[in-house]
Amino acid sequence: MTKKGVFLQRKFAVVLISSLLLTSVFSCQRRQIKIPELPSDRHQPYNFIGQKGMVVAAHPLAAEAGLEILKKGGNAVDAAIATAFALNAAEPFASGIGGGGFMVIFLAKEKKVTIINFREKAPSQAFPELFVDKGKINEQWRRSHGLAVAVPGALAGWAYALRKYGTKELYEVMQRGIDIAEKGFAVSKTFSKINKDEYEKLLLTAGTTSCYLNEGFPYEPGDLFRNPELARTFRFISSKGVQEFYKGELARKIVSAVKDNGGIMTPEDLALYEPVEQCPLKGTYKDYTLYSIRPPGSGGLHIIQLLNIIENWPIRKWGHNSPSYIHHFSEALCFVFADRDHYLGDPDFISIPVIPLTSKQYAAQIVSKIKSNLMLGYYPFGKFNGKQNDKENTTHLCTMDKEGNIVSLSQSINDFFGSGIIPENTGFLLNNHMRDFSTDPNSPNAPRPNRRPVSSMGPLIMFKKEKPFLALGSPGGTRIFPSLTQIIINIIEFGMSLDEAIESPRFFNYSSRGKAQNISLESRIPQTTINSLEAIGHEVIIREAFDKYFGGAQGIMILQAKKIIHGGADSRRDGSGAGY
Amino acid sequence: MKKILIAALLVFSLLIIEAFTQGKKEGVLSIFEQPILITSAGQNAEVHLASVLAKRAELTSTLSKNATVKDLENIKTIVVVLGTSLKGLGAAGLNMAQEKERINLLVEEAHKKNIPFLFLHLGGEARRGKLSDEFINMFLPHAKMVIVVKSGNKDGLFNKICDKHDIHLIEVERTVNALEPFKQVFISKE
Repeated sequence: MTKKGVFLQRKFAVVLISSLLLTSVFSCQRRQIKIPELPSDRHQPYNFIGQKGMVVAAHPLAAEAGLEILKKGGNAVDAAIATAFALNAAEPFASGIGGGGFMVIFLAKEKKVTIINFREKAPSQAFPELFVDKGKINEQWRRSHGLAVAVPGALAGWAYALRKYGTKELYEVMQRGIDIAEKGFAVSKTFSKINKDEYEKLLLTAGTTSCYLNEGFPYEPGDLFRNPELARTFRFISSKGVQEFYKGELARKIVSAVKDNGGIMTPEDLALYEPVEQCPLKGTYKDYTLYSIRPPGSGGLHIIQLLNIIENWPIRKWGHNSPSYIHHFSEALCFVFADRDHYLGDPDFISIPVIPLTSKQYAAQIVSKIKSNLMLGYYPFGKFNGKQNDKENTTHLCTMDKEGNIVSLSQSINDFFGSGIIPENTGFLLNNHMRDFSTDPNSPNAPRPNRRPVSSMGPLIMFKKEKPFLALGSPGGTRIFPSLTQIIINIIEFGMSLDEAIESPRFFNYSSRGKAQNISLESRIPQTTINSLEAIGHEVIIREAFDKYFGGAQGIMILQAKKIIHGGADSRRDGSGAGY
Repeated sequence: MKKILIAALLVFSLLIIEAFTQGKKEGVLSIFEQPILITSAGQNAEVHLASVLAKRAELTSTLSKNATVKDLENIKTIVVVLGTSLKGLGAAGLNMAQEKERINLLVEEAHKKNIPFLFLHLGGEARRGKLSDEFINMFLPHAKMVIVVKSGNKDGLFNKICDKHDIHLIEVERTVNALEPFKQVFISKE
């Protein structure tokens, strides 16, 4: 062969190899799961519409996963669990099998509401001074350390709900989650920002080689995120059963990861974990009845408290997000937080005065204290006579099926990316919910063996004249119940559609040791309102226009008269809906 | 057929050469010296990205989120990562005014000691907004050079300030692409 021939042959080989490389790159891109398109301006209120069923969740792929199960004949519980698995793959920084949560289920035929509490528990060796290091609270131990990890309850809770109220098998509801984890998807701006925000923790615990970093750096919007190890873990659970997570190979990996990072979880802690089914907590607001979770989930209790208080005020006259409305609401929040600090803990171990706290009489007492143009400055907790006994009463998604069954499910791994700890080759993150225990050893919510920490979650289902009206919930830490109350009021009092109510500007305030803190506001609240609040004495922190600090609410609203279902999903994160 | 193949190869090669030379058009000079102090203006999380970039570039650096004038001992360059995080400020126990004051003091002392500033903005579009822009407008004029992830400069704010104050601006597509210019702008220790 001539020199020219060899040259051309080599060039041809280069072109061939280049083409093969390009083809493999493009085919890889084709394989990733395409995210359903949403309206271009995500902040513009947009109600997803359905007639037979609806799923709303914090990621479009998760909502699609739930809808797929509904269309295959699954009920709302099947769809909720499918959505939860899909969320673990698509929004892994917010929830998953390494965490826990609560579920409110409405069974249409029985006209019954029930609660499944799958909140995490403290390990059996926990004690009130767990986070005290050389006389001081060690914040890093509470955030990204083995001690921060509570015994996960999510998988046990999902499996319990599926077994008792679902119609599908575990492997069926896991399939979309496996696909998403395996094939991957394009990272959103929200994912990327949260990934950057939690970079320090991920470097510390997950490490630069974990799938949660892209060659050691945070993912940029549009990058392909895949989690083949999670897909393998899901397949393993699908074939071997949930007990593998609590008593088998996965349990050993969890305990080992926690201990390697300085934690105290034992195999027995995992083996003994069980979810609990409970009666719901009930409250009313005018013609509406609300069912939510009981302590240690505090959201339901505090939403009822707030609605009881607000019921006494002429808020329509004051106007939506007017200075009077924000001032009164903020003052009410200060009282509610005082009660929360004083009374809330795990009701399996302490007595919580749920009935008096959620009574209309107690609300009236608080209302009588609040002044219209003055900050009180001091907010004591409520005092109730006699020993109280609660026994007699004892990333959010919603699903609704064609039979009218509804699920409202809130779950979490606490901070974004949880503790950052990933059991070896499993691809899932362990929670840092031990951080939800109080740092005060004398608090009713101090860490103690097998206790569940207080949560701010408040998944709820509301009824109007005994017909389902609204399913709602949100992440967002202590902002959860203030945000959910604002959304409910936006709908009922200010006549907003579901997503309008969700997207509307939010505010938040709280008290600590009886003293008011600053009001945080989204920057869309007008400067004149801010000036008026400052004139009353409030100190104000202005946050972003749509700030995920205030949560990422998801809801379903049933418009009985029109025979349609609206799904609302928060643009503060990647909320999305899918109906049919 | 051969001619078409050769022409295609030629176009392909030209495209590759063009792509590789684009980054060099900026004419980046090695103008900063080590050791480096890395801090943030606004307590953002990207300060850790800067620290990892410095490590990968094999630069001698110290990360101090709350750096004060005391930390300037023996320092030859200050790298400031721009962008406000209310979460970060809260964790550091600082408000906006206190954070501005901290950076102001660093700037004053650095000017006295002739320590140059290299500014970074690595958070992209998500790390812009009213609070972040306050730090950008206030402190960027003190920079000798700035490296910006492109999506954070969609509105041209960095161009505007850099043009006005004659600051060398380098735009990169992604955070990881900041590594190369980051390496190049530092004079090797040898």
